[in-house]
Amino acid sequence: MMSPALFLLALITLVPFFSIIWMSFNNVSLMGGLTLEFSGLDNWRRVFTDPDIRASWLISLVYFLATVGLEMLIGTVMALLVYSLRRGSNIIISLLLIPMFIAPVIVGLLGRFMLDPSHGLYAWILNETGLFDGNILGSVGSAMTAVILMDVWEWTPLVALIVLAGLTSVPEDTLEAAEMDGANYRQKLLYIILPSISNILLVALLIRAMDAIRFFAIIFITTNGGPADSTKIIPIRLYDIAFRFFDLGYAAAVGITMLVFSILVANAFTKLLKRRESAS
Amino acid sequence: MTQFKRRDILKGMGGLAGLSLMGAGTLRTALAQGMASEEAWKQASGTTIQFISENTPPTTAIAANLDAFKALTGITVNITEMQLGALVQKVALDFGAGRSAYDVIYADPYQVLAPYHRGLVDLNTFIKDGQQPVVPKGIEDFIPSQLAAAGRFENADALYALPYDCPTMIWIYRRDLFEKYRDKMRQELGFDPMPTDDTTWEQYYQIAAWFSNGNASEVKYGTGHQAQQYDSLMCDFSNVLFAYGGSYFANGQQIGLYGTDSPGACQLTSDASLEAARFYQKLLKVAHPGSTSWDWTGVANAFQNGEFAMMPEWHEFAGSLESSDLKGKIGYAPLPKGPARSANLWGGTGIGINANASPEKQKAAWLFLVWATSPQTQLMGLKSQVGGGTPTRQSVYAMPEVKAASKPPTDMPNMLTADTMLIAWRDDHIGLRPKIPQWNEVDTVIFTELSKMLAGQMSPEETMQSAKQRIDRIVGA
Repeated sequence: MMSPALFLLALITLVPFFSIIWMSFNNVSLMGGLTLEFSGLDNWRRVFTDPDIRASWLISLVYFLATVGLEMLIGTVMALLVYSLRRGSNIIISLLLIPMFIAPVIVGLLGRFMLDPSHGLYAWILNETGLFDGNILGSVGSAMTAVILMDVWEWTPLVALIVLAGLTSVPEDTLEAAEMDGANYRQKLLYIILPSISNILLVALLIRAMDAIRFFAIIFITTNGGPADSTKIIPIRLYDIAFRFFDLGYAAAVGITMLVFSILVANAFTKLLKRRESAS
Repeated sequence: MTQFKRRDILKGMGGLAGLSLMGAGTLRTALAQGMASEEAWKQASGTTIQFISENTPPTTAIAANLDAFKALTGITVNITEMQLGALVQKVALDFGAGRSAYDVIYADPYQVLAPYHRGLVDLNTFIKDGQQPVVPKGIEDFIPSQLAAAGRFENADALYALPYDCPTMIWIYRRDLFEKYRDKMRQELGFDPMPTDDTTWEQYYQIAAWFSNGNASEVKYGTGHQAQQYDSLMCDFSNVLFAYGGSYFANGQQIGLYGTDSPGACQLTSDASLEAARFYQKLLKVAHPGSTSWDWTGVANAFQNGEFAMMPEWHEFAGSLESSDLKGKIGYAPLPKGPARSANLWGGTGIGINANASPEKQKAAWLFLVWATSPQTQLMGLKSQVGGGTPTRQSVYAMPEVKAASKPPTDMPNMLTADTMLIAWRDDHIGLRPKIPQWNEVDTVIFTELSKMLAGQMSPEETMQSAKQRIDRIVGA
């Protein structure tokens, strides 16, 4: 009974997986039919010596820490605020969730439109208030900040939603007891609420972290990795290698390093989660 | 000779049959009869072919007029339109799989023709086949520089594509502002600012700076550029590079026309190339700051919004600009000249036939190629209400109605650029980027390094040095 299921599983996961590993040891040519020419460790040597790849990983790391960090922080604060509302929370939640229902491509197009130096509303506001008078998407630093904030705008509501679900499990009696003992909000937050939802926070962190590594559409639409490669995170670099240069063997090697990174991050979070569960 | 006569008789008979069947028909149909007999046009009737094209104005016009082709040939054409990058991926994968999901291919010279020309049919097979419709007025009717650049690779014999569209970068400027401030500018700058064949890039810079200094209330800046870290930046820079006598590779014009597998060492560190880089950096400092985030569409939108007075831009934007509030206020000229010449980057493309397609589909595809690039179809494109590009054939520019349309008022706005374009496509004016299989990688190096220079991270010298090193590694020089 298991055979068909195993066969299907192999077809949709193992075959592509081993194919891409095999491709990473070959020069792949598309002309005149697909041909693979064994090149040994050449592609892997390039992955670890290519300064462009190193630079892209560094940018990815900055981007990863900034987006995930801000989303966790703002999402948690938003959830706490919504949870404390006595009336109208349903409407607030509905409004809050709108950004995450918008496709990332549309978010990119919106961002490009709103930040355009000639007609963009946000660019105009920043310019008029004297906060920033340059070209937001065309300057190093501000371009990175802009794409980070676009991602944060879109995905913070997801974190808020997850945390909000976690907040319903905070024991009311413990909170009441703490109140009776004279604990203020900060003390309740630090010693009761946050420890109670720490597992759910880890789940939110894991989901957003996995997504942030694969982030692509918004940068592709807004800056295409520029200016001066300042937003060229590793997925954008991988896209260039695979689908602009058609260097598919090398792209396979770069893609596998992304996969390994994702697995390491996921493992770290799940281990942390397990450790907390066993401790509690 | 006998065969030729027989073909002529067949053509004549077919023409008569066609005319009697269609009740004299339209002018277009009558002209189609002149290219071949009814029988020749109907030889692949019932076939369905797939045409993959970039979403460009000529294809929009063709797509709106496919009924005429179907009536003529009985062939159904399905058109898939998309962005060029996505098209290149699909075509590459199609060739890689050794199949023919697409029979007619929009063969960009740099991203499709150079790396994959072996996957395209040599069109001489059909041109020399007496049973096929002739290319009306012969392939000599195509603008020669475009025929070589769009259709050939490495030699002057094989022909892989027929010139289909021809966007070329020219100088687009606010004629109303230039006329209004002409005397003032002449007094202050010491030269007549009106664009002529003799205007230099240095003068362009001075005009740009004059506007950017707040001398005209209508615009904030003098010039805008498509300088986003993207293909557009390479295009914008190349105009200056070639004008200054610089080049990506030795014998650049030849490599641009015919292409090569081995271009040799990169020439970006030559004195002329360095001078071009220095000038480009200087020019962008007085340009609209939005330039570094605009591609060709972005810069055209900003121009239309009245942000600046002039720009180097693809000439086919004339159509949309002349439909905007700026109608009648715009002037067109070849790009300024540098110490070497005026260079107007050409970005045209041909259409070719997938060699993996079945013989039947290849025949149908050839009929489509002949029809789609024929003078009458190009004339139809000019008049199209849904788009339409500019002709790639010399005979179309010679048509009285097209000539008349090159002066306002006109119902063919792209033709307002005609006089400029005929200069821009001359051998001594056309700017051709290298047609090499590694172009995408080389292009990426060029626009990435230039972007670093514009961001102030590298000097022009460091930029050109770094670009050369990387390009040499890519092409194996």
